[in-house]
Amino acid sequence: MHKRNRLFVSIALVYGLLGGLVAILRLIDPALIPGNVPRMHGHIMLLGLILMMIYGIALHVLPRFGGFPLYSERMADWQLYLANAGLPLMIVGWLTFIDGWVIAGGLLSYAAIILFGLNMILTVRAARSVSHES
Amino acid sequence: MKVELLVRSGCSSCAQAEAIWRLVVDEREFELAVLDVAEAAGSTRAEQLALKAVPAVLMDGELKAVGVVCIQEARELTQAAPLKAHAMLRRMGMFFSVENRWFIVSAQVYLMLAGIGLVLNGSLLSDSASRPAFLHLFTLGFLLFMIYGLGAHMLPRFTGNPLVEGSTWSWVQMGLAHVGVTAYAVGYFAGWQALTLGGAVFAWCSLLIFLLRVWPVLWPNKRS
Repeated sequence: MHKRNRLFVSIALVYGLLGGLVAILRLIDPALIPGNVPRMHGHIMLLGLILMMIYGIALHVLPRFGGFPLYSERMADWQLYLANAGLPLMIVGWLTFIDGWVIAGGLLSYAAIILFGLNMILTVRAARSVSHES
Repeated sequence: MKVELLVRSGCSSCAQAEAIWRLVVDEREFELAVLDVAEAAGSTRAEQLALKAVPAVLMDGELKAVGVVCIQEARELTQAAPLKAHAMLRRMGMFFSVENRWFIVSAQVYLMLAGIGLVLNGSLLSDSASRPAFLHLFTLGFLLFMIYGLGAHMLPRFTGNPLVEGSTWSWVQMGLAHVGVTAYAVGYFAGWQALTLGGAVFAWCSLLIFLLRVWPVLWPNKRS
Protein backbone atom coordinates (compact mmCIF):
# COMPACT_ATOMS: atom_id res chain seq x y z
CA MET A 1 0.00 0.00 0.00
CA HIS A 2 1.40 3.40 -1.02
CA LYS A 3 2.69 5.51 1.87
CA ARG A 4 0.33 8.35 0.88
CA ASN A 5 -2.69 6.04 1.10
CA ARG A 6 -1.55 4.74 4.48
CA LEU A 7 -1.24 8.37 5.58
CA PHE A 8 -4.81 9.03 4.46
CA VAL A 9 -6.11 6.08 6.51
CA SER A 10 -4.01 6.97 9.57
CA ILE A 11 -5.00 10.64 9.45
CA ALA A 12 -8.64 9.62 9.05
CA LEU A 13 -8.49 7.62 12.29
CA VAL A 14 -6.79 10.48 14.13
CA TYR A 15 -9.49 12.88 12.88
CA GLY A 16 -12.09 10.37 14.11
CA LEU A 17 -10.62 10.50 17.61
CA LEU A 18 -10.37 14.29 17.46
CA GLY A 19 -13.98 14.68 16.28
CA GLY A 20 -15.18 12.28 18.98
CA LEU A 21 -13.25 14.20 21.62
CA VAL A 22 -14.83 17.46 20.48
CA ALA A 23 -18.30 15.88 20.84
CA ILE A 24 -17.50 14.45 24.28
CA LEU A 25 -16.20 17.81 25.55
CA ARG A 26 -19.31 19.54 24.25
CA LEU A 27 -21.53 16.98 25.96
CA ILE A 28 -19.66 17.56 29.24
CA ASP A 29 -19.98 21.34 29.00
CA PRO A 30 -21.03 23.27 25.88
CA ALA A 31 -18.87 26.21 27.00
CA LEU A 32 -15.64 24.19 27.05
CA ILE A 33 -14.94 24.73 23.35
CA PRO A 34 -15.71 28.07 21.75
CA GLY A 35 -17.12 28.50 18.26
CA ASN A 36 -19.49 26.59 16.06
CA VAL A 37 -18.81 23.20 17.65
CA PRO A 38 -21.59 21.05 16.11
CA ARG A 39 -20.57 22.10 12.60
CA MET A 40 -16.92 21.51 13.46
CA HIS A 41 -17.68 18.04 14.88
CA GLY A 42 -19.75 17.13 11.81
CA HIS A 43 -17.06 18.20 9.36
CA ILE A 44 -14.19 16.58 11.30
CA MET A 45 -16.11 13.30 11.22
CA LEU A 46 -17.31 13.51 7.62
CA LEU A 47 -14.40 15.27 5.86
CA GLY A 48 -11.79 14.01 8.33
CA LEU A 49 -12.75 10.45 9.21
CA ILE A 50 -15.05 9.25 6.45
CA LEU A 51 -13.73 11.10 3.38
CA MET A 52 -10.02 10.61 4.18
CA MET A 53 -10.70 6.92 4.82
CA ILE A 54 -12.44 6.72 1.43
CA TYR A 55 -9.53 8.59 -0.20
CA GLY A 56 -6.97 6.16 1.22
CA ILE A 57 -8.90 3.01 0.40
CA ALA A 58 -10.19 4.17 -3.00
CA LEU A 59 -6.78 5.34 -4.21
CA HIS A 60 -5.52 1.86 -3.38
CA VAL A 61 -8.32 -0.34 -4.66
CA LEU A 62 -9.94 1.46 -7.61
CA PRO A 63 -6.86 1.31 -9.87
CA ARG A 64 -6.53 -2.39 -9.00
CA PHE A 65 -10.19 -3.09 -9.63
CA GLY A 66 -9.93 -1.15 -12.88
CA GLY A 67 -6.82 -3.09 -13.87
CA PHE A 68 -4.89 0.09 -14.69
CA PRO A 69 -2.45 2.27 -12.70
CA LEU A 70 -3.65 5.45 -11.03
CA TYR A 71 -3.88 8.24 -13.64
CA SER A 72 -1.72 10.64 -11.61
CA GLU A 73 0.22 9.97 -8.42
CA ARG A 74 1.03 13.68 -8.30
CA MET A 75 -2.64 14.64 -8.23
CA ALA A 76 -3.19 12.20 -5.39
CA ASP A 77 -0.24 13.68 -3.47
CA TRP A 78 -1.67 17.19 -3.89
CA GLN A 79 -5.03 15.85 -2.83
CA LEU A 80 -3.43 14.77 0.45
CA TYR A 81 -1.83 18.20 0.99
CA LEU A 82 -4.95 20.17 0.09
CA ALA A 83 -7.33 18.03 2.15
CA ASN A 84 -5.08 18.28 5.17
CA ALA A 85 -4.58 22.01 4.77
CA GLY A 86 -8.27 22.65 4.20
CA LEU A 87 -9.83 20.89 7.18
CA PRO A 88 -7.53 22.39 9.86
CA LEU A 89 -8.19 25.85 8.37
CA MET A 90 -11.93 25.23 8.60
CA ILE A 91 -11.55 24.05 12.21
CA VAL A 92 -9.57 27.17 13.15
CA GLY A 93 -12.20 29.30 11.41
CA TRP A 94 -15.03 27.73 13.39
CA LEU A 95 -13.09 28.00 16.65
CA THR A 96 -12.32 31.68 16.13
CA PHE A 97 -15.55 32.71 14.36
CA ILE A 98 -13.50 33.91 11.36
CA ASP A 99 -15.62 32.98 8.37
CA GLY A 100 -12.81 33.76 5.91
CA TRP A 101 -10.73 30.89 7.27
CA VAL A 102 -13.68 28.54 7.04
CA ILE A 103 -14.26 29.56 3.42
CA ALA A 104 -10.56 29.26 2.55
CA GLY A 105 -10.40 25.84 4.19
CA GLY A 106 -13.57 24.78 2.43
CA LEU A 107 -12.13 25.79 -0.94
CA LEU A 108 -8.94 23.80 -0.30
CA SER A 109 -10.97 20.77 0.80
CA TYR A 110 -13.13 21.12 -2.30
CA ALA A 111 -10.01 21.35 -4.50
CA ALA A 112 -8.91 18.02 -2.98
CA ILE A 113 -12.32 16.55 -3.80
CA ILE A 114 -12.03 17.76 -7.43
CA LEU A 115 -8.53 16.30 -7.77
CA PHE A 116 -9.75 12.97 -6.38
CA GLY A 117 -12.81 12.90 -8.63
CA LEU A 118 -10.84 13.74 -11.79
CA ASN A 119 -8.07 11.29 -10.93
CA MET A 120 -10.58 8.49 -10.41
CA ILE A 121 -12.55 9.29 -13.58
CA LEU A 122 -9.38 9.42 -15.67
CA THR A 123 -8.09 6.20 -14.11
CA VAL A 124 -11.30 4.31 -14.83
CA ARG A 125 -11.58 5.81 -18.35
CA ALA A 126 -7.99 4.78 -19.12
CA ALA A 127 -8.79 1.26 -18.05
CA ARG A 128 -11.93 1.27 -20.18
CA SER A 129 -10.17 2.55 -23.31
CA VAL A 130 -7.55 -0.20 -23.02
CA SER A 131 -10.20 -2.88 -22.63
CA HIS A 132 -12.05 -1.49 -25.68
CA GLU A 133 -8.87 -1.55 -27.80
CA SER A 134 -8.21 -5.14 -26.86
CA MET B 1 6.61 -21.46 33.72
CA LYS B 2 9.07 -24.34 33.31
CA VAL B 3 8.11 -27.67 31.80
CA GLU B 4 10.46 -30.63 32.22
CA LEU B 5 9.92 -33.67 30.05
CA LEU B 6 11.63 -36.78 31.38
CA VAL B 7 12.48 -39.24 28.62
CA ARG B 8 14.70 -42.23 27.98
CA SER B 9 16.71 -42.62 24.76
CA GLY B 10 15.40 -45.40 22.56
CA CYS B 11 11.84 -45.06 23.94
CA SER B 12 9.50 -44.44 21.01
CA SER B 13 6.69 -42.89 23.06
CA CYS B 14 9.27 -40.50 24.56
CA ALA B 15 10.16 -39.29 21.05
CA GLN B 16 6.48 -38.80 20.35
CA ALA B 17 6.01 -36.84 23.60
CA GLU B 18 9.01 -34.66 22.81
CA ALA B 19 7.65 -33.86 19.33
CA ILE B 20 4.34 -32.78 20.83
CA TRP B 21 5.98 -30.56 23.44
CA ARG B 22 8.25 -29.00 20.80
CA LEU B 23 5.10 -27.92 18.94
CA VAL B 24 3.52 -26.44 22.05
CA VAL B 25 6.65 -24.58 23.14
CA ASP B 26 6.66 -22.98 19.69
CA GLU B 27 3.24 -21.52 20.46
CA ARG B 28 3.60 -20.31 24.04
CA GLU B 29 6.14 -18.56 26.22
CA PHE B 30 7.48 -21.18 28.63
CA GLU B 31 10.74 -22.96 29.21
CA LEU B 32 11.01 -26.57 28.05
CA ALA B 33 13.74 -28.87 29.30
CA VAL B 34 14.00 -32.41 27.97
CA LEU B 35 15.89 -34.57 30.46
CA ASP B 36 17.10 -38.08 29.73
CA VAL B 37 16.80 -40.29 32.79
CA ALA B 38 19.91 -42.16 31.61
CA GLU B 39 21.89 -39.00 32.30
CA ALA B 40 22.74 -37.40 35.63
CA ALA B 41 20.24 -34.49 35.64
CA GLY B 42 17.37 -36.66 34.48
CA SER B 43 18.07 -39.55 36.82
CA THR B 44 18.32 -37.20 39.84
CA ARG B 45 14.93 -35.73 38.95
CA ALA B 46 13.41 -39.21 38.50
CA GLU B 47 14.81 -40.35 41.85
CA GLN B 48 13.48 -37.29 43.65
CA LEU B 49 9.97 -38.07 42.38
CA ALA B 50 10.36 -41.87 42.62
CA LEU B 51 9.37 -42.07 38.96
CA LYS B 52 9.19 -45.53 37.46
CA ALA B 53 7.86 -44.71 33.99
CA VAL B 54 8.66 -42.23 31.22
CA PRO B 55 7.79 -40.01 29.49
CA ALA B 56 6.73 -37.86 32.41
CA VAL B 57 5.81 -34.19 32.52
CA LEU B 58 6.81 -31.89 35.37
CA MET B 59 5.53 -28.35 35.57
CA ASP B 60 7.49 -26.05 37.85
CA GLY B 61 8.84 -29.13 39.58
CA GLU B 62 5.46 -30.77 40.11
CA LEU B 63 4.55 -34.04 38.40
CA LYS B 64 1.62 -33.41 36.03
CA ALA B 65 1.42 -36.44 33.76
CA VAL B 66 2.98 -39.76 33.06
CA GLY B 67 2.82 -41.14 29.54
CA VAL B 68 2.27 -39.32 26.25
CA VAL B 69 -0.09 -36.38 26.58
CA CYS B 70 -1.88 -35.37 23.39
CA ILE B 71 -1.29 -31.89 22.00
CA GLN B 72 -4.65 -30.68 23.27
CA GLU B 73 -3.80 -31.71 26.82
CA ALA B 74 -0.37 -30.13 26.50
CA ARG B 75 -1.97 -26.87 25.37
CA GLU B 76 -4.40 -27.00 28.30
CA LEU B 77 -1.57 -27.61 30.76
CA THR B 78 0.29 -24.55 29.47
CA GLN B 79 -2.64 -22.25 28.80
CA ALA B 80 -1.52 -19.89 31.57
CA ALA B 81 1.63 -19.11 29.57
CA PRO B 82 1.27 -16.17 27.13
CA LEU B 83 1.12 -16.82 23.40
CA LYS B 84 4.27 -16.12 21.41
CA ALA B 85 4.05 -13.14 19.06
CA HIS B 86 4.17 -15.21 15.87
CA ALA B 87 1.43 -17.50 17.19
CA MET B 88 -0.75 -14.42 17.68
CA LEU B 89 -0.51 -13.30 14.06
CA ARG B 90 -4.00 -13.28 12.68
CA ARG B 91 -4.76 -15.40 9.66
CA MET B 92 -5.09 -13.59 6.38
CA GLY B 93 -7.44 -15.92 4.54
CA MET B 94 -9.88 -14.80 1.89
CA PHE B 95 -12.94 -14.75 4.07
CA PHE B 96 -14.07 -12.56 6.94
CA SER B 97 -13.03 -13.56 10.43
CA VAL B 98 -15.95 -14.11 12.84
CA GLU B 99 -15.56 -10.73 14.52
CA ASN B 100 -15.32 -8.81 11.24
CA ARG B 101 -18.41 -10.63 10.00
CA TRP B 102 -20.22 -9.46 13.13
CA PHE B 103 -19.06 -5.89 12.59
CA ILE B 104 -20.56 -5.93 9.08
CA VAL B 105 -23.81 -7.60 10.22
CA SER B 106 -24.17 -5.12 13.08
CA ALA B 107 -23.60 -2.23 10.66
CA GLN B 108 -26.56 -3.34 8.55
CA VAL B 109 -28.81 -3.59 11.61
CA TYR B 110 -27.87 -0.05 12.66
CA LEU B 111 -28.45 1.15 9.09
CA MET B 112 -31.97 -0.25 9.12
CA LEU B 113 -32.69 1.24 12.55
CA ALA B 114 -31.33 4.62 11.45
CA GLY B 115 -33.34 4.51 8.24
CA ILE B 116 -36.60 3.81 10.05
CA GLY B 117 -35.92 6.64 12.46
CA LEU B 118 -35.05 9.17 9.80
CA VAL B 119 -38.16 8.34 7.80
CA LEU B 120 -40.61 8.21 10.72
CA ASN B 121 -39.15 10.73 13.07
CA GLY B 122 -36.33 12.46 11.29
CA SER B 123 -35.69 15.42 9.13
CA LEU B 124 -37.32 14.52 5.82
CA LEU B 125 -40.03 17.09 6.43
CA SER B 126 -38.86 18.84 9.56
CA ASP B 127 -36.19 18.60 12.25
CA SER B 128 -37.16 16.58 15.29
CA ALA B 129 -35.56 16.45 18.70
CA SER B 130 -34.59 12.81 18.17
CA ARG B 131 -32.76 13.52 14.91
CA PRO B 132 -29.27 13.30 16.50
CA ALA B 133 -30.08 9.84 17.86
CA PHE B 134 -30.94 8.46 14.43
CA LEU B 135 -28.18 10.42 12.72
CA HIS B 136 -25.65 8.80 15.06
CA LEU B 137 -27.19 5.37 14.56
CA PHE B 138 -26.21 5.94 10.93
CA THR B 139 -22.77 7.47 11.49
CA LEU B 140 -21.58 5.64 14.61
CA GLY B 141 -23.65 2.53 14.01
CA PHE B 142 -23.47 2.00 10.27
CA LEU B 143 -20.43 3.93 8.98
CA LEU B 144 -18.10 3.25 11.90
CA PHE B 145 -18.98 -0.45 12.12
CA MET B 146 -18.38 -0.77 8.36
CA ILE B 147 -14.98 0.88 8.80
CA TYR B 148 -14.21 -1.49 11.68
CA GLY B 149 -15.20 -4.65 9.81
CA LEU B 150 -13.82 -3.78 6.40
CA GLY B 151 -10.74 -2.00 7.76
CA ALA B 152 -9.61 -4.90 9.93
CA HIS B 153 -10.22 -7.27 7.00
CA MET B 154 -8.70 -5.25 4.16
CA LEU B 155 -5.80 -3.28 5.66
CA PRO B 156 -3.70 -6.38 6.48
CA ARG B 157 -4.25 -7.58 2.90
CA PHE B 158 -3.47 -4.20 1.33
CA THR B 159 -0.28 -3.72 3.34
CA GLY B 160 0.87 -7.32 3.65
CA ASN B 161 1.18 -6.83 7.42
CA PRO B 162 -0.98 -9.04 9.61
CA LEU B 163 -2.81 -7.84 12.71
CA VAL B 164 -0.45 -8.68 15.57
CA GLU B 165 -2.90 -9.52 18.36
CA GLY B 166 -5.43 -12.09 19.35
CA SER B 167 -9.13 -11.63 18.75
CA THR B 168 -9.74 -10.40 22.32
CA TRP B 169 -9.25 -6.71 21.53
CA SER B 170 -11.53 -6.83 18.51
CA TRP B 171 -14.31 -8.24 20.72
CA VAL B 172 -13.63 -5.59 23.37
CA GLN B 173 -13.78 -2.97 20.61
CA MET B 174 -17.06 -4.41 19.38
CA GLY B 175 -18.57 -4.50 22.88
CA LEU B 176 -17.59 -0.90 23.55
CA ALA B 177 -18.96 0.21 20.18
CA HIS B 178 -22.32 -1.55 20.70
CA VAL B 179 -22.74 -0.22 24.21
CA GLY B 180 -21.62 3.21 23.02
CA VAL B 181 -24.03 3.50 20.08
CA THR B 182 -26.96 2.09 22.03
CA ALA B 183 -26.37 4.25 25.09
CA TYR B 184 -25.90 7.33 22.92
CA ALA B 185 -29.15 6.78 21.01
CA VAL B 186 -31.21 5.80 24.08
CA GLY B 187 -29.73 8.68 26.09
CA TYR B 188 -30.70 11.16 23.39
CA PHE B 189 -34.20 9.71 23.11
CA ALA B 190 -34.81 9.67 26.83
CA GLY B 191 -33.12 13.00 27.43
CA TRP B 192 -30.55 11.42 29.78
CA GLN B 193 -27.46 13.51 29.20
CA ALA B 194 -25.21 11.28 31.32
CA LEU B 195 -26.17 8.20 29.30
CA THR B 196 -25.52 10.06 26.04
CA LEU B 197 -22.12 11.16 27.32
CA GLY B 198 -21.29 7.64 28.53
CA GLY B 199 -22.24 6.26 25.11
CA ALA B 200 -20.02 8.79 23.37
CA VAL B 201 -17.07 7.89 25.62
CA PHE B 202 -17.56 4.15 24.96
CA ALA B 203 -17.77 4.70 21.21
CA TRP B 204 -14.63 6.88 21.34
CA CYS B 205 -12.76 4.16 23.26
CA SER B 206 -13.75 1.62 20.61
CA LEU B 207 -12.26 3.88 17.92
CA LEU B 208 -9.09 4.26 19.97
CA ILE B 209 -8.76 0.47 20.25
CA PHE B 210 -9.30 0.13 16.50
CA LEU B 211 -6.60 2.71 15.82
CA LEU B 212 -4.18 0.91 18.16
CA ARG B 213 -4.98 -2.42 16.47
CA VAL B 214 -4.41 -1.24 12.90
CA TRP B 215 -1.53 1.19 13.53
CA PRO B 216 1.16 -1.57 13.44
CA VAL B 217 -0.47 -2.84 10.25
CA LEU B 218 -0.15 0.59 8.60
CA TRP B 219 3.24 1.48 10.10
CA PRO B 220 5.06 -1.74 11.00
CA ASN B 221 8.22 -1.59 13.04
CA LYS B 222 10.91 -2.24 10.41
CA ARG B 223 13.13 -4.02 12.91
CA SER B 224 10.44 -6.65 13.53
